[in-house]
Amino acid sequence: MNVSTKWLSTYVDLSGITPQHLADRLTLAGLEVEGIQPIAQGTNLVIGEVLTCEPMPHSDHLSVTTVDTGSQVLSIVCGAPNVAAGQRVIVAQNGSVLPQVTIKKTSIKGYESNGMICSLLELGVDPKSLSESQKEGIEVLGSDAPIGGDPLAYLGLDDAILDVKLTPNRSDCNALWSLALEVGALLNRPVHLPKAPVYTEKESTLVVGSATAKCPVFIGKSIGQLTVGPSPLWLKRALNAVGIKSINNVVDISNYVMIETGQPLHFYDASKLAKPEIIVKDQLTGIVKTLDESEIHLHHDDIVITCDGHSIGLAGIMGGDDSKIDESTTAIVIEAAQFSPAQIRHTSRRVNLMTEASLRFQKGLDPMAAAKAVERSTQLLVELANASELEKTVVYGQPDATPKTVSVTASHVQRLLGTPVSNDTILDIFTRLHFSPVVQGDTLVCRIPSYRLDISVAQDLIEEVGRFVGYGDLMGTLPVMPMTLGGYDARQTLRNRIRALAVGFGLHEVITYTLVHATKTTQGVNPIPHPDSLISPLSDERQYIRNSLLPSVLESVAYNQAHKQSDFQLFEISALTHTKTNEERLVLIQAGKQVLSRWQHETRDYDFYSLKGLVEVMMEELGFAPQRLSWIPVSDHPFFHPTQSVKVVLDRTELGILGKQHPLAAKALGMDPVLMAELNLEPLLKSKTAKIKYSAINKAPVVVRDLALLVERTVSAAQIEKTIAEAAKAVLLDVEIFDVYTGERIDASKQSVALTLRLQGEQTLTDAEIAQTMNAITEALERKLSATLRG
Amino acid sequence: MRDKLEKLREAALGELNGAASAEEVQAVRTRYLGRKGLLTEVLRNLKDVPLEERPLLGGVSNTIKEELSERIGSRLLDIEQSAREKALIGERVDVTLPGRGIPYGRLHPLTRTLDEICSIFLSLGFDIAEGPDVETDYYNFEALNMPKDHPARDMQDTFYINTEWLLRTHTTAIQTRMLEDYAGATPVKVICPGKVYRKDDDDATHSHQFTQMEGLVVGYNISMADLKGTLEGLAKAMFGESRVIRFRPSYFQFTEPSVEVDVSCHICNGKGCSTCKGTGWIEILGAGMVHPNVLTMAGFDAEKVSGFAFGLGVERVAMLKYGIDDIRHFYTNDLRFLSAFKRFE
Repeated sequence: MNVSTKWLSTYVDLSGITPQHLADRLTLAGLEVEGIQPIAQGTNLVIGEVLTCEPMPHSDHLSVTTVDTGSQVLSIVCGAPNVAAGQRVIVAQNGSVLPQVTIKKTSIKGYESNGMICSLLELGVDPKSLSESQKEGIEVLGSDAPIGGDPLAYLGLDDAILDVKLTPNRSDCNALWSLALEVGALLNRPVHLPKAPVYTEKESTLVVGSATAKCPVFIGKSIGQLTVGPSPLWLKRALNAVGIKSINNVVDISNYVMIETGQPLHFYDASKLAKPEIIVKDQLTGIVKTLDESEIHLHHDDIVITCDGHSIGLAGIMGGDDSKIDESTTAIVIEAAQFSPAQIRHTSRRVNLMTEASLRFQKGLDPMAAAKAVERSTQLLVELANASELEKTVVYGQPDATPKTVSVTASHVQRLLGTPVSNDTILDIFTRLHFSPVVQGDTLVCRIPSYRLDISVAQDLIEEVGRFVGYGDLMGTLPVMPMTLGGYDARQTLRNRIRALAVGFGLHEVITYTLVHATKTTQGVNPIPHPDSLISPLSDERQYIRNSLLPSVLESVAYNQAHKQSDFQLFEISALTHTKTNEERLVLIQAGKQVLSRWQHETRDYDFYSLKGLVEVMMEELGFAPQRLSWIPVSDHPFFHPTQSVKVVLDRTELGILGKQHPLAAKALGMDPVLMAELNLEPLLKSKTAKIKYSAINKAPVVVRDLALLVERTVSAAQIEKTIAEAAKAVLLDVEIFDVYTGERIDASKQSVALTLRLQGEQTLTDAEIAQTMNAITEALERKLSATLRG
Repeated sequence: MRDKLEKLREAALGELNGAASAEEVQAVRTRYLGRKGLLTEVLRNLKDVPLEERPLLGGVSNTIKEELSERIGSRLLDIEQSAREKALIGERVDVTLPGRGIPYGRLHPLTRTLDEICSIFLSLGFDIAEGPDVETDYYNFEALNMPKDHPARDMQDTFYINTEWLLRTHTTAIQTRMLEDYAGATPVKVICPGKVYRKDDDDATHSHQFTQMEGLVVGYNISMADLKGTLEGLAKAMFGESRVIRFRPSYFQFTEPSVEVDVSCHICNGKGCSTCKGTGWIEILGAGMVHPNVLTMAGFDAEKVSGFAFGLGVERVAMLKYGIDDIRHFYTNDLRFLSAFKRFE
């Protein structure tokens, strides 16, 4: 909200208070001032009279002038087209600092110039408030302008605008009168609000009413005679200062009073109403033509102003075109009403019409504001628009004027703030805020003024004390409470361990957006069915809540590949939350190759086995032994390589898919294929993990035996290992495959697999025991897998 | 005879000095001290020397023999040592070439920042609570003293899924759930980190998705001073021991009193710079005393217990701490950005 300090100072004495000081005080009291903008700027300015003005020889636009500034006569070269002898003008003297320039003594084509005659534009006045001629030429002051005086004060431009950001609870300060009361309380200075005199008024013929609960109060008043004309300069300046364009005295008064009281007003041209009757209704259909000449199609919830059965305005948002004030208006009807903030908000949003009035209604109004606004506008209409033939105010409904009573004890204040504040201080603050505090024993009983809609419980009063006293001297303490054991829960611990492992294995963590394009919901791994989407997204790009993590991570992969990063590993852990499910997943990516030492040519392409190895080690570290995992080939997934991908299964639960990206899928995304896995972490949280247990070192000697087998290529390593393990029973320590050969030296359908077996018994194994075990193994391999032993 | 011995000695020593390899040294040894060596021969011929000269000549020749043996030994050691030195020099490496890469990864800067904050509160005995990104209107707004059509809802433009469900706009929604879980039991000491969403167009300072962390304490006699002390600890831990904080009155529907919390600028130490826009202060938190309505709705006795809550933007903290100029970096995941966070103080 824009606040004119000059306007404010008509209610509360601001002498000795700079705009900056005022802004700081307001900010520290919770009314944050975001900016201070002087209406016009310039130092060393003075009103002067142009004594002589001659065109400069050999120049097509410059004039040589002499200007009397009261104390001296200056010769000034001026470039403005409208400068002339006899004018009273604004002179920026030597040393004057203007927004764009600092004035110095200078010489132009041999003519000395001691200053500058200024336009308002050069003083930084908002061009929107200036006419074309004011923008093009110097400002010509009235003949009453005192020579040697301050031109900004003469023009009423000695003003600074504070940009006050009001929090929703203090919408009362949208009324300048309420803000003045706040400032008066903060500065401890008296506040003088205008009081309208009592006028002689006729009985009214106006009928007002409401057929909807959304308009509980409607105040109307007929003004039988008035004169529409231009507003006085002070009124124009005041409205201009807060960004409102001056139209005419009558319209300007409605805006001026709205700023003062916060109450939006509407003035109808009485002669354009079919009869002196205004009824507020809803449940209407049809069209209203508003002031801005747009046609609004009514919804049955909208609050509508009607006269004689016709819709004449969209209540609280904009008046109708048919009954608006113009130069020929001679009689008006004033409207000041209360409308449902929620309904104004809905209608205003639906028809996309945010007006000063609609915004104020939405934020909530002082219930007494309507009556005050009618009185105040009557007074100004009498004073500025020769209003006469006033009729008595007619009121529908009853404004809720019961003052709220809220109580608090000093000890509660001290306890909640954690600082000693004396009873007297609290009492003083409440008094300054016009809360009329009454001491009843330990309790302070406050009667809350109607405009303070935000005060309803003791804590609200405590906040008033806090913001007035300020928190600067508050000494910080740590809460005194029973000791508690904090810590990570199982899910957070699992996540932290996965993160630590992944980082240790060289993966960078990424975090990607939750919202994705619809197409991404069809490109995932085990996508959650029926993903939720937004009612009104910012864009199609961010419409769906993702149902798989992989597509988002692949976007990051593609981005990096496009930016010449080819070798990397990434991971992301994120929940996939939908209204009906919440599941945490892990994505792992390996792209390009692992570079150990480029100059030693030690690099290794990432492949199926590198990613599988990563998952194996991670799972083992997390407490899931390798034998609990199974790897089931996946050959028909559209995004995975048909012969280099597996389902990863823990015990009997599928975790997800791991493998190489299908070349077509990679191509569709404009990227190079990567190794990728998306695994569900929920089963890990539900499955038992192995306990870490110490077992005594077995001192019996280990027997090492190598085997070379010739088997069909379809026989998997897992089958061989399983067969050996079953045949060897307890004495098998481990099996390691150290070579797999396919090629011209053997049959094309076969592969040669070389393994090392390590055997260990409870005691030293005898030669006979070893031979028996090896026989059992080879016999089983031959029988089950048709393996033949190579020499 | 004696002259002959002396000449032999000199010749042997001369040859020894000229010997460049162990083989040549061994050759010298054989020639002089071998069984048919020249010195050996002289000693063998002692019997031809007059008897009275024998002891003297015998002594001299033995001395020469010993000397020669010793010199041969040391010469062999010298040769061995210089050969070893030569070999080691040959094994020289360029120590300025890069070491062999051990693969390393980095946690995302948001995770790092959040971990840092969490560790502070874990040490104070806080729990860490999380909640769903997709929330109900009740937990996100209504239970926080913001009924439907409340103007305070306009402070947060919301992504709705339907009239009941939405993407949470603040981690305060987790706070609501926590209060309900505690069902009136104290003490409550919990922090609630999470992703939040607002209908904002993405630019350098706005993101439709960002990360918040909420803190919540409820117990007996919890005060604004406790809030200030706790946040002072946080500010010092995150931005340095010399930081101070300032409370500015503000407004949140779910706290009363409410404050914005500024930290003295860690770049200029409060003197005023571009980071703090010349004010010396940086706004990093919103906080306040939990509104009695919120406590009551969650089953606490607001007459007896009180609490404080605060919320901070994790991106904002990370941006300030590490001098990051664009919030979008966090979600683009450019490796050059991610791997820039190699060293944290």
